[in-house]
Amino acid sequence: MRLQASVLWKGLLSLGALTLILAGFPSSAEDAGTLYNTPYDIAQGERYFERQCSRCHGFDAKGNDETGAPDITGRLNRASNEVGIFNVIRNGVPNTAMLPVDVNLPDAQVWQVVAYVESLRYDPNSVVLDGDADSGLSLFIGRGDCSSCHMINGQGGRLGPDLSRVGESTRPEDLMTAITEPHEDVAPRWWTLEITGADGVPRSGFRMGEDSFSVRIMDNDSNLWSFMKGDIQSIERIERSTMPSYDGSMSESELDDLVAYLFSLRREEN
Amino acid sequence: MKRVLCTLCALAITAITAQVSAQEQEFQTVMTPAFSPITWERLVNAKDEPHNWLMYNGTLDAQRHSRLDEVNVSNVDELELKWAYQIPEIDRAETVPVVVDGIMFITEAPSNVVAVDARTGRQYWRYNHEMPEDLRICCGRNNRGIAILGETLFMSTLDAHLVAIDARTGNLLWDTEVAKHDSGYSKTAAPLIVKDLVVTGIAGGEFGIRGFIDAYDPVTGELVWRTYTVPGEGEFGVDTWLGDSWKTGGSATWITGAYDPDLNLIYWGTGNPGPDWNGDVRLGDNLYSDSALALNGDTGEIEWYFQFTPHDVHDWDAIQIPILADLNINGQNRRTMMWANRNAFFYTIDAADGQFIQGAPFATQTWAQGLDSVTGAPIRVPGLAPTYEGIMVSPPITGGTNWYSPAYNPDTGLFYVTSFDGEQIFFKRDEDYEEGERYTGGGGRYDQPMDAFQSYIRAINPLNSEIEWEFPIMPRSSAGITTTTGGLVFSGTADGYFFALNAETGEELWNISLGRRVHAAPITYEVDGQQHITIASGNVVYTFTLDD
Repeated sequence: MRLQASVLWKGLLSLGALTLILAGFPSSAEDAGTLYNTPYDIAQGERYFERQCSRCHGFDAKGNDETGAPDITGRLNRASNEVGIFNVIRNGVPNTAMLPVDVNLPDAQVWQVVAYVESLRYDPNSVVLDGDADSGLSLFIGRGDCSSCHMINGQGGRLGPDLSRVGESTRPEDLMTAITEPHEDVAPRWWTLEITGADGVPRSGFRMGEDSFSVRIMDNDSNLWSFMKGDIQSIERIERSTMPSYDGSMSESELDDLVAYLFSLRREEN
Repeated sequence: MKRVLCTLCALAITAITAQVSAQEQEFQTVMTPAFSPITWERLVNAKDEPHNWLMYNGTLDAQRHSRLDEVNVSNVDELELKWAYQIPEIDRAETVPVVVDGIMFITEAPSNVVAVDARTGRQYWRYNHEMPEDLRICCGRNNRGIAILGETLFMSTLDAHLVAIDARTGNLLWDTEVAKHDSGYSKTAAPLIVKDLVVTGIAGGEFGIRGFIDAYDPVTGELVWRTYTVPGEGEFGVDTWLGDSWKTGGSATWITGAYDPDLNLIYWGTGNPGPDWNGDVRLGDNLYSDSALALNGDTGEIEWYFQFTPHDVHDWDAIQIPILADLNINGQNRRTMMWANRNAFFYTIDAADGQFIQGAPFATQTWAQGLDSVTGAPIRVPGLAPTYEGIMVSPPITGGTNWYSPAYNPDTGLFYVTSFDGEQIFFKRDEDYEEGERYTGGGGRYDQPMDAFQSYIRAINPLNSEIEWEFPIMPRSSAGITTTTGGLVFSGTADGYFFALNAETGEELWNISLGRRVHAAPITYEVDGQQHITIASGNVVYTFTLDD
């Protein structure tokens, strides 16, 4: 019984400590969050970011697989608002390479970095587009025949990227480029590999995965094939997209509609 | 009935007793560290005890060649997992364990060390280094290994300390601050024992430090000598730096060097000048950045230097491991140093006096037309320094190779190196130096997906720099290499494979998917008459043997 009381006290003390911590931390956060977001602050934050953060997160802040540093231009995993970003920068992430900033770095300067990170994470809701999303949906499933290759919320084909949340990670201008110039910046996942395996049968498919000793593809019938490179008779890599360009086959306003629809594909905001 | 039961009881007790007795016997063996003290003579003759891996590079000449041959070209495909050790701290492992008479010492992030039974991977003891929170590290919480002399281990720590640890218990013997961590200094590399000295380098080339190589007394931890890798006021070479730029000149020394007992020379590489990518503030050749240094083994004085990349503006550190070997050069037997540099050129250099013998590119490069045939100095392609807008140059920042250990096999006469064919857009920025802050002056970015590039294991003939064979692997591989008398080359890949190639031909003989990046170099040793091969992958140290 005494033991339980002791545990209870420890719990209460911990709660008390937590309350103190919470009371201590966000006070500067809440006060300062909106004070340091002028263009000057953003520029200062960028300067600090380039020096201190870019080695891992990249100069474009889009992350680095090798260092494990995440892309921080989109949805953040460890922070949902400015206060969260402030705390990650100030305190680091324990047991990772994300170290806290210098304890002597003034809060104001941390806020400038927060302002810079926030400036990268633009608010999609504030973007006003020319096109009409509903018309875009009609084009997507109708004349554009996009859904025969692309899946949205579980409906559609498998021969292109799932677009259910494409509006979260891709800006409108990049969506337009993807539709009109599909061979620009083709992700390696969507390269085509033509492989003749040990059975002498040539097979072609999307590059699901490739490593030093093996390779995996999905063919147009959605069959998955895995090969050991040592057994392959031949392999050809085609670094182009299988998607047709819609430049010329749709009017400018139709393209705008399509972009508006794709850009609307985002997770429901809480 | 009762009697039958008792008999059964007795049988059971006898069986349990026998089992316990057998376990005790085995346990007792495991509990008693059997290694004998590591003398300097043992380190000099490390090649003669291939059952051990006595230092980071295997031997003082850094060849990473083992005379073990139980595992060889005819049976390597029968290798099986013997044990795995999980590092509790989540980070990528760059550790190269040291093995002494059946005890293995593994370093972990951020700066811990654990001693395990080399037959089972089970722990004897652990040392956790107390670490301040305000570390300044450029590239991850790395530690690559320890050095051993007598019964003492020596380890560099991320807070720029050198610590001595009792090899039998893990107890801390002394802890010396090498430099101020909050000024940007850190330490990641395994020290090198040279006679009765612990020789060690420093990291922090991205923080405007002034690099050096130190030697410490192994008993007291006191500094015996320090050789700066950037000359100071009034010293030879200071005029290769514009104004006071030498004070923040970088030239860090963050990988382990080699030593030649006959020449009494320590060989050590130096890193990029600071700031990395903006050379406008440090005009001149920037001695001794990006150089191989040969230091007197007693005093640390620079006997000769060879600068691979004068006035580097691409971050091409000469942080590679010098490999020493006797080579027949035009009918003359010469002690040589072989060096595959981050700048994508391979060099063979006279180890006695630093004279350039020959060299050529071993990876894709666009920055130099070639090397001067007499001096070995690069003949630069003009106009490829980083600009504010960015300019494409090959090799990229990560280099034609980097810090990953190469190897040399005296049986084949070939030098093996993990290399990368890539390119990157380099750009510069204007930055002021602030103590403890990053001081790089720019950076680089790729304009293609990484999978558009290719890494290779390349076998280079050190007599003429010709690539005898190459084995393609996925890009940005960062594993080291070990070669054996069994005719094998062991290495790993960025996509988590460990594999063996035929050292003569490059033919693939065996591979296993370990699932995470191999960011360390393999070692091999023998316990109970059985050859073991160990590699760290991701967060795990794996050991393989042939079937018992």
